Amino acid sequence: MSQKIKVLYIDDEPDNLVGFKASLRMDYHILTAVNIPQAMSALENNPDIKVIFCDQRMPGTTGVDFFEEIRISYPLPVRILLTAYTDVESIINAINKGNIFRYVKKPWTEADIVSAIDEANKFYMANSMLAVKNDELQKAYNELNKFAYSVSHDIRGPLSGILGAINISREMDDIEEMKEMMMLMEKSLKKLDTYILSMHDYYSLQRGELKITDIDFNRLMDEMKSMYNVLSKTSNVAFNVTIKQDEVFRSDETPLKLIFNNLLTNAFKYQDKSKANKSVDVSIEVQKSMATIYVKDTGIGILGTHIGEIFNLFYRANSQEVGSGFGLYNVKSALLKLNGQIEVNSVMHQGTTFKVTIPSI
Amino acid sequence: MELSFIVVDDSELDCFIARKIIEHADGRLKVTTYPEVHEALTAINNNLSAAPTTIILLDLQMPTMNGFQFVEEFEQLPAEIQKNYFVVILSSSRNSNDLSRILAYNCVQSTLEKPFTREKLLSVIMQVQNGG
Repeated sequence: MSQKIKVLYIDDEPDNLVGFKASLRMDYHILTAVNIPQAMSALENNPDIKVIFCDQRMPGTTGVDFFEEIRISYPLPVRILLTAYTDVESIINAINKGNIFRYVKKPWTEADIVSAIDEANKFYMANSMLAVKNDELQKAYNELNKFAYSVSHDIRGPLSGILGAINISREMDDIEEMKEMMMLMEKSLKKLDTYILSMHDYYSLQRGELKITDIDFNRLMDEMKSMYNVLSKTSNVAFNVTIKQDEVFRSDETPLKLIFNNLLTNAFKYQDKSKANKSVDVSIEVQKSMATIYVKDTGIGILGTHIGEIFNLFYRANSQEVGSGFGLYNVKSALLKLNGQIEVNSVMHQGTTFKVTIPSI
Repeated sequence: MELSFIVVDDSELDCFIARKIIEHADGRLKVTTYPEVHEALTAINNNLSAAPTTIILLDLQMPTMNGFQFVEEFEQLPAEIQKNYFVVILSSSRNSNDLSRILAYNCVQSTLEKPFTREKLLSVIMQVQNGG
């Protein structure tokens, strides 16, 4: 077992505390308190207490009252009442007011306590797991809401554009005008296609285990170069790659490619078209099991007020280029999977540099 | 009544469609399109001369500044500028929350669902001629 279960026992009889600790300390991490203030400070200092045993009869208070008091402020530890008096009234109170998990009769046997702790621990684990799942579910719901909202814009928008175009084509005779419209329709459809492809990336990132292999950045970038050299030539943007890798680097290639693809697409897309010397520079260095990657462009830059938001789902800082608002969000999700970090540095009209660090797994 | 149009929409295709529909309806109607909200606002703000009545076809969801931000800023302009303009929302959204929120602004006359058509254009012109 990696770590002993932390148990707090409160009883006004010091002898009981000593006996409890003596018989259970080998298997559990036992904390004891002789009164309520001590118990409160133990709870305060040990947020990882999983089970609380409390004696029912104490000077000035009862175990039930204590449990009722801490139910709201410390909801996680599982509450168990210890008592020699088994009147029905106190049992009813313990269940209704103290919301206890178990009731152990004094004098206890070690077997009673051990079974109570083990069951309480299972209950505690199930509850914590539920809390984690609830958080995940909440996050999924929030993203689903964003999706539903974006559907009318990002999917319905291009479609209504195409419909509108078909409508006006009925009264269009000029072939040049028609061609211009076709080109705009194509642009709209490409945007829709980009959106759907990124949505696919988004889903594949959310699920699935990592597939760790040896990564050869030279080979990976050769693949990228063959894709982006065409873009580099047609858009007159120089594409330079430098790689320094003398050691083994292990990671998952799919999210890694997704990161490069998104950063490179952006770097080429958001170039300043009026500039004479346009470039995209990639440098990769692997050192001490850490890959440091820079993707630097001579583009239009990102406004300071937008930088904080560029990694948000569906955020777009520019209206001139086709974008889905998925790209950098997917980069961030991919980096989360690979335990990596990203930083961005941008100067308006000069360019943007993304720095990515990824540890070898 | 002299009429002109301003289209504020980040989609080039939608700007093109609106322009063609308006021009096909009446070749004398003037149409200006803006892909970004702030460009449109600057143009409206600088156009201090006695502008003819202008209908603004405004998209809601746009990057950088959206339709809501346009309307917020537009209502800050001097009243003598505002009175020449009629804002009509042209959006693919069916989100009733967004639509009722934008209609709550004084300057917003009505909302239309994309795609823009000749019939929708005529309804807007009728509305403006009847005094909004």
